[in-house]
Amino acid sequence: MIREVIAWLDDRLDLTDVRHFVAEKGVPVHAQKVWYYLGGMTLFLLAVQIFTGILLLLYYRPSAAEAYESVQFIVTQVQFGWLIRNIHSWSANLLIGLAFAHFFSVFFLKSYRKPRELTWVSGIFLLFLMLGFGFSGYLLPWNELSFFATKVGTGIAGAVPTVGHFTLRLLRGGDDVTGATLSRFYGLHVAILPAVTTALVALHLLFVQRQGMSVPLGVERRLKPGERLRQMPFFPNYILREVLAWYVVLAVLAALAAFYPWELGTKADPFAVVPPGIRPEWYFLAMFHTLKLLPSHILGFEGERIGVVAFGLIALFLVLVPFLDRRASRGESSPMFTTLALVGLLYLVSFTIIGHYAK
Amino acid sequence: MIRISHFSTIAWATIAASAIAPHAAAQTAATANSCLACHAAQTDARLTAPAVLFTQSDVHRDSGFGCVDCHGGNSSAADKAPAHDIGRGFKGKPAGRTVIGTCARCHGDAEFMHRFAPRQRVDQATEYATSVHGKLLATGDTHVATCASCHGAHGIRRVSDAKSPVFPTNVAATCASCHANAAHMNGYTLPNGSPLPTNQLADYQKSVHYRALTKGNDLSAPTCNDCHGNHGAAPPGAGTVVNVCGTCHAVFAQKFDTSAHKQIFDKGCVECHSNHAIVQPSDEMLSTTGRGVCAACHTAGDKSDKGSVAAESMRGDIARLKSGLDQSRALIARLKNAGIEVGDQELALREAGTKLTLARTEMHAFDPRLVSPIIVDGTRIVAGIDRAGQDGIAELRYRRRGLALSLGAILLVVVALALKVRQIDRRQNRE
Repeated sequence: MIREVIAWLDDRLDLTDVRHFVAEKGVPVHAQKVWYYLGGMTLFLLAVQIFTGILLLLYYRPSAAEAYESVQFIVTQVQFGWLIRNIHSWSANLLIGLAFAHFFSVFFLKSYRKPRELTWVSGIFLLFLMLGFGFSGYLLPWNELSFFATKVGTGIAGAVPTVGHFTLRLLRGGDDVTGATLSRFYGLHVAILPAVTTALVALHLLFVQRQGMSVPLGVERRLKPGERLRQMPFFPNYILREVLAWYVVLAVLAALAAFYPWELGTKADPFAVVPPGIRPEWYFLAMFHTLKLLPSHILGFEGERIGVVAFGLIALFLVLVPFLDRRASRGESSPMFTTLALVGLLYLVSFTIIGHYAK
Repeated sequence: MIRISHFSTIAWATIAASAIAPHAAAQTAATANSCLACHAAQTDARLTAPAVLFTQSDVHRDSGFGCVDCHGGNSSAADKAPAHDIGRGFKGKPAGRTVIGTCARCHGDAEFMHRFAPRQRVDQATEYATSVHGKLLATGDTHVATCASCHGAHGIRRVSDAKSPVFPTNVAATCASCHANAAHMNGYTLPNGSPLPTNQLADYQKSVHYRALTKGNDLSAPTCNDCHGNHGAAPPGAGTVVNVCGTCHAVFAQKFDTSAHKQIFDKGCVECHSNHAIVQPSDEMLSTTGRGVCAACHTAGDKSDKGSVAAESMRGDIARLKSGLDQSRALIARLKNAGIEVGDQELALREAGTKLTLARTEMHAFDPRLVSPIIVDGTRIVAGIDRAGQDGIAELRYRRRGLALSLGAILLVVVALALKVRQIDRRQNRE
């Protein structure tokens, strides 16, 4: 049946190029090939997000008066609404977790080195976009925790030198978090970010397909002159393994959604006292806790402002890593960047844990 | 009998205040204050303390007043004799009635006080004259509290200052500095002639009011002056206790007013709840057995005792609603933890909780016929919550079964894929 359909299409569209691509595309086989699956798993969760997000859109109403009630309606009245909402929330968190894992695996394996600099740059921007999705989506249920966490989060954006106040007002739609903020975050979450993400994902995948999978620097350097790594056919060997990994992620997602449902909390009340223990989602905790630990003034400058500028510089550094790591570009080992990646990983893990338990 | 030889009907302090020369206050601000310089240099702590306290934090100093505004004399004189010149109005340390007159000179003058604290009352001295303290002072008893005993003489802080001895959280300790001192209170008696007790603070510290004030940080919770008055401090009379408690507990007071007990209870609320040691009320109090306070007058199990029957009937009704409510709360909490949305049921739980509170309030009329309809309403709400709760339990089971089936299906696909991958790999290896 499938063959007949392909033959029918081939008659009309001449799929010779596609058939050659499918037949010839291979994936290098080596000890670290397991890391290749992370990108595909992240992409799978992005698809889950788009699918469940569209379903939620059918009932969600983006206004301060109705947002909370509409989510309440989704989880109580809509058939399987609770499942869709829980999967969307859990998938968002797993997606960001896997995106970070993918980022670190690429960093440690130096897969960003020439000629894949643009793949890295597009990937880093995709990671920032995922964090943007998380930040904007967190406010949408309009509950107490998300309201005050957004207040704190947008307040941090206000600490950016020169453009801070403008950014704060741009994000909030005024001086404070109100229904106008919700409208903006909604627009950002369902229109602007998806549009940019779609374009970047397409570009990222195009780069990956054009250049093929990167072979880790260590593996490449151990190859004898003229020796080529064994290749695994992309279709069906690799793709079947990838689908298997997707199913495992799906099982984890279903179990999490059923056993650890995402609480809706109480509706946001802008006049309420700030509840204790307000903190952002886990993926912002390390940054949030660092800003909390900074003294109020450093060398005469506001501590929080220094912190925000430092995080901005780190983000810029991450974008520029392939261009800064000259040794890796030349195919030489670059222990300094491996150390930086390790320090970054340890910092993120430790400060996230400390931030979680901090009062 | 309280040691009062006669009751002065004249607010003598106010009169005394008006007789004293008009205040030269604020104009004699301690710019070059020889009083402070000289007193600070003394070796006797009693003489240095006023200078130290006045220079640390004092509401009068902050408003521009100086030593001579209360003590008279000349603060610009370098030597003691001209500084303490009686001709310049020097009167030394005010004591007894003089304290009241000194303070009331400004605090009893509405026009003058308007310049510093427009909203502050100016009848403190008049009120004080009606207090037990004031009446005893009028008889010549100088052991009683005057203004400085509670507010301090130097280093006086605003009442709103948390360090002030009359800030709500400090009032009980301030009153107890005399009233918990057995030696100081020796000789003072209650109207029935028995010695005035000194355990008020210890009792108050056991009370729900003390807990609310000090642990709950609720500054509106009552302390000594909220029931006894502050400047006009006096024990509430037996017949006025309900009015005192009813200031805050208005609905309870209204219900009590309609009850049969209104005519019988000499001490009103105090009969069941005590006065200073008012502990958290409980349903157990409404009984003729165990910790029940009804047993003081009514006989347990006596069917001919209407009060006993009414108490047990109301207690049974309230206990039934409370038990049902507790079970429903546990059920809804379980569902909430399991991720079932129970917003409507939580709202209904609050409504049923309100019914329970209403029933507990209504029982102060001591008529089971008034309590019963409220209990019926509450029980109906609880039954509705339970029905929704059982639906939630069924939904939870359905979800768990659905998950098990889904995971089973996913596992099958995973196994099938793994086998297929293995088959392909083997075939390719053979080729």
